[in-house]
Amino acid sequence: MGKVSPSIRSMISTAALVRQSQVVSSGFLSQVERHRHFPKKPTKKSSSKLPQKTLEPELKPLFKSPNLNDAKKLFNSLIATARAPEDPRFHNSLLQSYASISSLDDSISLLQHMIKAAPSFSPDRSTYHILLSQACRAPDSSLSPVHKVLNFMVNNGVVPNQVSVDIAARSLCSVDRIDNAIELVKELSLKHSKPDAFTYNFLVKCLCKSRVLSTVHSFIDEMSSSFDIKPDLVTYTILIDNVCNSKNLREATRLVGVLKECGFKPDCFVYNTIMKGYCMLSKGSEAIGVYNEMKKEGVEPDLVTYNTLIFGLSKSGRVSEAQKFLKIMVESGHLPDIVTYTSIMNGMCREGNALGALALLEQMEGQGCTPNSCTYNTLLHGLCKGRLLDKAIELYKMMKEAAIKLETASYATLLRALCREGRVAEAYEVFDYAVASKSLTDAAAYSTLESTLKWLKKAREQGLVV
Amino acid sequence: MLPQKMKQAMADNPKKLANLIDLVNLPSTVREFVGQSQISRLGCFMRVWSYIKTHNLQDPNNKNMVRCDQKLKSILLGKSQVDLVELPALIKLHFPKGPK
Repeated sequence: MGKVSPSIRSMISTAALVRQSQVVSSGFLSQVERHRHFPKKPTKKSSSKLPQKTLEPELKPLFKSPNLNDAKKLFNSLIATARAPEDPRFHNSLLQSYASISSLDDSISLLQHMIKAAPSFSPDRSTYHILLSQACRAPDSSLSPVHKVLNFMVNNGVVPNQVSVDIAARSLCSVDRIDNAIELVKELSLKHSKPDAFTYNFLVKCLCKSRVLSTVHSFIDEMSSSFDIKPDLVTYTILIDNVCNSKNLREATRLVGVLKECGFKPDCFVYNTIMKGYCMLSKGSEAIGVYNEMKKEGVEPDLVTYNTLIFGLSKSGRVSEAQKFLKIMVESGHLPDIVTYTSIMNGMCREGNALGALALLEQMEGQGCTPNSCTYNTLLHGLCKGRLLDKAIELYKMMKEAAIKLETASYATLLRALCREGRVAEAYEVFDYAVASKSLTDAAAYSTLESTLKWLKKAREQGLVV
Repeated sequence: MLPQKMKQAMADNPKKLANLIDLVNLPSTVREFVGQSQISRLGCFMRVWSYIKTHNLQDPNNKNMVRCDQKLKSILLGKSQVDLVELPALIKLHFPKGPK
């Protein structure tokens, strides 16, 4: 249990990283990171739920009504045809398909019917997991449906194992029943099987998202004292990420100390997380400090490290240093991506060098890096702030043609820039686009327009604007 | 310049949002224009603005001005010309504050 393969490590920590970056002001780290560097979704669950993945598309609308008798009839007619495969996966797919529209009791009945009608089919673990997952999602505030399925499993000679625990915990959390999930995990730990490191870390992450810190710590303490499940490096990364997101860097530093005391060596993910914490507070020097410490400890910085650092430096207005790190980054073999470029553009715009940022856009496109909506919004914002309205309108038209959504900040700045020049009709046109493209809610788009016009009126009265 | 914080406060303020999207019983003049007895301030603005666009009421020489037709005049204080800047404020007049 202690050993975690690097590939899985990355996917767990990066899930945290992705979440982290959404919090980062304009959120432009997130969109890209999610698609570019971490295309792999957790694969753990799929092994146990393989059957439902093999569901052929034409089978999907098989069960049209949740009525049990209809389903039984359909199943009978299916196995009556000679083409019906013997593979238990086929039966599991059918059950899964039915479970997605029916009630739990009906699913159980159908399974019993299937066993009776097709003697060659013997339900395996994944068959029961389908029911288990359905029971966890059932609209019931108690755990009784889950217990029902678990008893059903045990009575049929399938003892819940770690996969069952994992499926139950994830299903319960997916419908926001984390307290139930923890209760169930504790109960299963006593009776059948302890959660593995993945389930445990998943629960810790869910707790971090929705509960106060003390709840998380008491959960960790309890798991450690009752079931001898100790937090690992991933757990600490999750905790550090959580406190960094709430800007509690002191606690993060304390946790790094605890982590070292427990005999873990901080890895790239831990450092990245702490660096992100400093960057969010615009503490560029501390971020560089983390980078230096990484170097000293012999931890090789990765793309995320550089992107975070460049983002942080740009944010705190130290673009020249950011560009220096861009060079180091290229030298150490990491190709700058859209996040890197957008960060630097953001920094340049902050400095008032919107034209430089525009030039960087061309350079970036020349290197085969396609800009995304964040890039455009950053530029639009910068151009408006830099009073380069003509360029901004040009860019806006391009965005409109490519159906790129506007962000709140760039939308508001563009409106203000247009109004300042007395081009109110064009501001209305931008408002129309924001509403039509669903960039913002109607109410948000309108209240921005209204307040901008109010400001303009006032400014005109004071003779500030013509 | 409108401070960023103030803007944020406006977006976050549930009361402000409520008086933008809550349905309000309309006075007869507006009722005639929108063709229903209740509408939100936001909905009303959208109606008026799309009315202006579909009827091409913007002054071709100065797009910022709206030349009101009879129907529009009836709800915009009888003005024959309205600056687009004034539009939200004029519509707001039909949605007075205070308990209903």
